[in-house]
Amino acid sequence: MAAPAVCPGCGSAALVQDAHYAQQQLVCAACGCVLAEGLLTTTYTDEEHLREVAYSQSTGQKEQLSRCLQRGIRRVQDLCKVLQLPAVFEETAVSYFQRALQHPSFHAVSLEKKELLGGCCVFVTCRQHNWPLTMGTICSLLYAKQELFASVYLSLQKELELSVPALSLADLVKTHLNSFRLFQHAADIPAPFVEDKEKMITRTMQMVELASETWLVTGRHPVPIVTAAAFLSWQSLQPPARLTCTFARFCKLAGVDLPPPAHLRLKELLEILLRMASQLAWLRVFKMDKKTVVKHIGDLLQHRIFLLKNAFCREDEEEQRALAEGSPGSAPAAGGAAQEKDCPSKGKRQHEGSPRPLLPPCLIHPRKRLRTAAPSASDSAITGDEPISDSEIEQYLRGPEEIQAFRRAKAW
Amino acid sequence: FKDDLSTSPQLFTPMSPYDVDLPTQTTEDVLFHSQFNQPKELPTDFSSVDLSFLPDLTQDNKEQNLSDDGCEMQKELDGSISRYEDSGIFIDESSLSYPDASQPSPEISGACLPLTPMTPMTPVTPKSESSGIVPQLQNIVSTVNLACKLDLKNIALRARNAEYNPKRFAAVIMRIREPRTTALIFGSGKMVCTGAKSEEQSRLAARKYARVVQKLGFPARFLDFKIQNMVGSCDVMFPIRLEGLVLAHQQFSSYEPELFPGLIYRMVKPRIVLLIFVSGKVVLTGAKQRTEIYEAFENIYPILKGFKKA
Repeated sequence: MAAPAVCPGCGSAALVQDAHYAQQQLVCAACGCVLAEGLLTTTYTDEEHLREVAYSQSTGQKEQLSRCLQRGIRRVQDLCKVLQLPAVFEETAVSYFQRALQHPSFHAVSLEKKELLGGCCVFVTCRQHNWPLTMGTICSLLYAKQELFASVYLSLQKELELSVPALSLADLVKTHLNSFRLFQHAADIPAPFVEDKEKMITRTMQMVELASETWLVTGRHPVPIVTAAAFLSWQSLQPPARLTCTFARFCKLAGVDLPPPAHLRLKELLEILLRMASQLAWLRVFKMDKKTVVKHIGDLLQHRIFLLKNAFCREDEEEQRALAEGSPGSAPAAGGAAQEKDCPSKGKRQHEGSPRPLLPPCLIHPRKRLRTAAPSASDSAITGDEPISDSEIEQYLRGPEEIQAFRRAKAW
Repeated sequence: FKDDLSTSPQLFTPMSPYDVDLPTQTTEDVLFHSQFNQPKELPTDFSSVDLSFLPDLTQDNKEQNLSDDGCEMQKELDGSISRYEDSGIFIDESSLSYPDASQPSPEISGACLPLTPMTPMTPVTPKSESSGIVPQLQNIVSTVNLACKLDLKNIALRARNAEYNPKRFAAVIMRIREPRTTALIFGSGKMVCTGAKSEEQSRLAARKYARVVQKLGFPARFLDFKIQNMVGSCDVMFPIRLEGLVLAHQQFSSYEPELFPGLIYRMVKPRIVLLIFVSGKVVLTGAKQRTEIYEAFENIYPILKGFKKA
């Protein structure tokens, strides 16, 4: 800054640069008034140039963080920006990352794992705020192997003792459908294929809820279910134009991947819908198959509570019937009688319309497995201290000729 | 997706006069002392405890309470059930659940809970907790020290049932037919024996391996035999709503369908990890004693029963 030519106090022009202890001062020689003082600086070079040093540069905060940590934090921040997460998430994720990296079990892992660790922190933050982010998305962003990501995630959860709430399917539906390209007109999408987003989201949510009630969701990967439900909902909103479109073509047009299990989920959903259709009074006259049932999905979803109750034999209803049979005086009302009609017995499964128990698919189509026999009585009599016969041990040892032969063959 | 359980937190706050957030308190303490902030001692003599004020629950009421309220409470009861067993009273958790939202019980909300005699209602019937299902042991892992240095190449050459691939793994893998087991034998003389179905079988198998090593000319001994891990499995015979279970027991459960179809439940007492599947099959692992597996299953069975229906 330019030094004033005269002293404001006495008007004299005799100004001298003097040092009071170590501080430079511009003093009036006549009256002693101090016109300007040296600034507080932190580096010698800045003092010489009479420049201010910014606070962030002078605190030395950056120097305290190791380069690895700085790089990791930048990576976490970049991930949050790419995913367009709120600012709060970024702070939380960075704090988790710092905590994790200081933990002895993560301090010395490979750089690849440290990068995955950053991704895991972002993932945990999203889940804790009920932001529907799937592991598949994070893995694809980090170009990571899912198994490695899984192991890092589980150890992070254990070491930092984080409680991660379960993935909410409702939010996942909205997020997944956001990435579909069918809501706006485009050159490669035929006009009848374009759909209104709100209608599609509502119907897909209802389908996913139906799948969840009928045990199709528990234990399965969530994304294929959402994709299959979206396809069925989309078809049912304009059946005449869309029934001819295959699942694969739908996914290609929408710009999403078709995960392999989605075909099976589609089949299972259609089976549930067919069973429900068999209970709807005005559809019973038609012979439904998996193409025609799509046209009536709207009705089926509207009455799904009633249809599910009638189409599937629930186990508790069996108990109630057993109780009712026990006390004939207090026979349940028409509901019970109707159940008697629709639920003849669990054994009769050949008839197409007869209800089956509402069970997960793994229980309805159990894979045949070799069951090892339960420990027999002789097994349980083993004490662990029985004498061991020499002949039994010798069967495991090679004879001298055998050893010679092996030596020659393998050239030990 | 609105499970019954997701609404249970709201059921608690306006209604229940009991303090839910004290996990270390036992049932008795929760019922009697929550309003008085008394210390968390469990009364070991139950003869003086008056449980007659508890409402008698009908079948459907009980099941509804189990799914709505009982799950939160079962978390606290889990740890304390084993203590109850000692005093010989088995209290059915379902009948100790909180009063239903539609039937407020005015006598319980009164401040002088243990002092005034309540209107006598049907007392709680102590019921046996046993589920009737016994988990079957599937695998036992044990270790033993043979206390001598071993020449692994020599063993692999002279034993029929041994395989040794030093580039892949630094131990000899040996198998015997009876009991059907596999052993990993290391050059230091330590050995791991896996595959047995009972502790005695594991010990017998380990002794047989030691005899084989002895016959091969090494001065093998049999020191520090110890069971390191036991794995059991069983089937509860009904499907389980894993999404509901992870909501209710968040601090113990980890359910990631993207990673693994089953729910991983880390029980604190006893320290056992359970893998719970939608089909109702349960795998229990991490036990050093057979009783830990049985105890863990008896603890989890009532919890699972609460998630039987949607």
